[in-house]
Amino acid sequence: MAVLVNRDTNVLVLGITGRSGRLQTKVMLDYGTKVVAGVTPGKGGQMAEGVPVYDFVSEVLKEHRIDAAISFVPARSAKDSSFEAIDNGIKFLVLTMEEIPDHDVLEILSYAKAKGTTVLGPGAAGIISPGKCKLGAHPPRMFTEGNVGVVSKSGALSYEVGKTLTEAGIGQSTVIALGGGPLWGLTQRDAVRLFQEDPETEVILLLGEIGGTTEEEAAEFIAQNVTKPVVALIVGRAAPEGKSLGHAGAIIQGNRGTAQSKITALSRAGAKIATTPKEAAQIIKEIRGE
Amino acid sequence: MKLYEFQGKELFREAGIPVPRGRLVTREEELGLVEFPAVLKAQVLVGGRGKAGGIKVCKTPEEGKKAFESLLGASIKGEKICALLAEETADIKREFYLSITIPSGSKSFLLMGSATGGVEIEQVAQSAPEALFSLLIDPIVGVMDYQVRYVAKRFACEVEEARKVLTGLYRALRENDATLVEINPLAETPRGLLALDAKVVLDDKARWRRSELFERLAEQQAAIGGQAVSVSTDTITYVPLDGTVGLISDGAGTGMLTLDLISDAGARAACFCEMGGLTSPEVMYSALEKTLNNKNVKAIIVVLIGGFNRMDEMAEGIVRYQKEKGLPVPIVVRMCGTMEEEGKRIMREANLKTYDDLYEAVHEVVALAGRNS
Repeated sequence: MAVLVNRDTNVLVLGITGRSGRLQTKVMLDYGTKVVAGVTPGKGGQMAEGVPVYDFVSEVLKEHRIDAAISFVPARSAKDSSFEAIDNGIKFLVLTMEEIPDHDVLEILSYAKAKGTTVLGPGAAGIISPGKCKLGAHPPRMFTEGNVGVVSKSGALSYEVGKTLTEAGIGQSTVIALGGGPLWGLTQRDAVRLFQEDPETEVILLLGEIGGTTEEEAAEFIAQNVTKPVVALIVGRAAPEGKSLGHAGAIIQGNRGTAQSKITALSRAGAKIATTPKEAAQIIKEIRGE
Repeated sequence: MKLYEFQGKELFREAGIPVPRGRLVTREEELGLVEFPAVLKAQVLVGGRGKAGGIKVCKTPEEGKKAFESLLGASIKGEKICALLAEETADIKREFYLSITIPSGSKSFLLMGSATGGVEIEQVAQSAPEALFSLLIDPIVGVMDYQVRYVAKRFACEVEEARKVLTGLYRALRENDATLVEINPLAETPRGLLALDAKVVLDDKARWRRSELFERLAEQQAAIGGQAVSVSTDTITYVPLDGTVGLISDGAGTGMLTLDLISDAGARAACFCEMGGLTSPEVMYSALEKTLNNKNVKAIIVVLIGGFNRMDEMAEGIVRYQKEKGLPVPIVVRMCGTMEEEGKRIMREANLKTYDDLYEAVHEVVALAGRNS
């Protein structure tokens, strides 16, 4: 078991013939992900990295079973392409691209919700279930099979922490990177819920950052619903007030969105707080009695 | 893109929201075209204009001339006043607040209203929270009739009046790709509801499909000598700080983590430079340039943990910079992720060392910055 994807997930790549789509398709295939088809309008009939390309999702579905799609479509076509995937009943959609207009993002998320599609992103690095499936940009060597469920807004931070855990001999069940925000489909709270329900996940590692309130919302959920041990690491402790640090939402305004307010909320909810990835690995070892 | 009041009102008018008659005044002779009594309002992008004396009611042309002279060229919260909006006065019975925004983490538009307007909404939230109400507007469905009736009830106004303003506000939001449309105050007058102010922010990410609108608004802003609207495709975030370690990262999360680790190691970063998740050798090159332009930088750490980013391309950017401009301070590069073998080979051939462990890299750069200062 893993959350959202597994060994048998058949993957469709939207925008497969673009530069990023092609490269990431190759990396995913090398990892063992079952990328069975791709879509790029006007490029139907071609092959990309050995994967057949179609003009429409509906054409793909005549030939293949699809469980999940990952999109590398440019921001201008993101809405159209996402609606096509949702209309065709694709249940899990990863949106990697940034810079999609806010109105388009809201429409995609609202439509997906109405039609029962789970959206990871936009701007998401994606998800990896080590040894089983990789749907996104997670560099393979930083992850290894195991029982820690990791959720992060930031892709890079999830790689960094995955690397530290792997080097410490701690494997992961699934690692999810949600995107830098401020609008998301899947949230930290949703990911925590999935990990709580996943029998393979023993420890939940929540990676947060300054800005916004999603960590606090996750904390509320943890306090009420989570029985598994939770470890939390919030980055941006040394960040200055009033400056946006890369992510649209990563900004401290007054006493809102500080690392301390998130740490307090998570700590109250019963999470063990780490200040660095190495400390997180240490705490997980202690939890396991190692 | 933040709009001036007069620009916001133009968009409101196009969307069918009643606004007072008015004209923009930038030169004294234009005052002759203004009918008095009139309200003269400083056109600035900062908030709190009224409290700062930026709005003056003038009964006669003489008062108008005096107000013009005192306002134009003066500044509000550091922003120079380059234009005034002269508007007809309104007979105000009551004042409301109405806005639509896209809150962080939401999946719908958020309509907020208050039966108490004219003051800052944060203040209303404190002093009269019962006056505040909010509704979610689904982007696919739009404004529903029950929502119009609800607003009419809360404002105790005619349903048709509420409909004109609410559907107009939603149109102004949708047809211009706005991320914020706000009317404060929305005034009840003998002529019906009237938008006395307009705050509008447009989504820069939608510029490509609203290019005519963005160009028109940017030209207007340039014409009154206001803040230049920067058109930038730069993905780099550069935040100057007060330390000595130049920090460049290819991810916001690892950037913030590295900032913490530098601080834990007893040093401070001279800047926070984040290149974005998918980037090119050119962006790496210009990140180095930006960072090295900061004279406080005694050593640089480049933190690369590529997912979408390709390490061969990052290495190419660093090596090109070294060849063309040279590296005046020591550089510590942590490189791992997509295409890292190729990236490390390029670095090796240019005699540049790479690190795999972030902690080791941070300790090295902190030591180097200390030695160099």
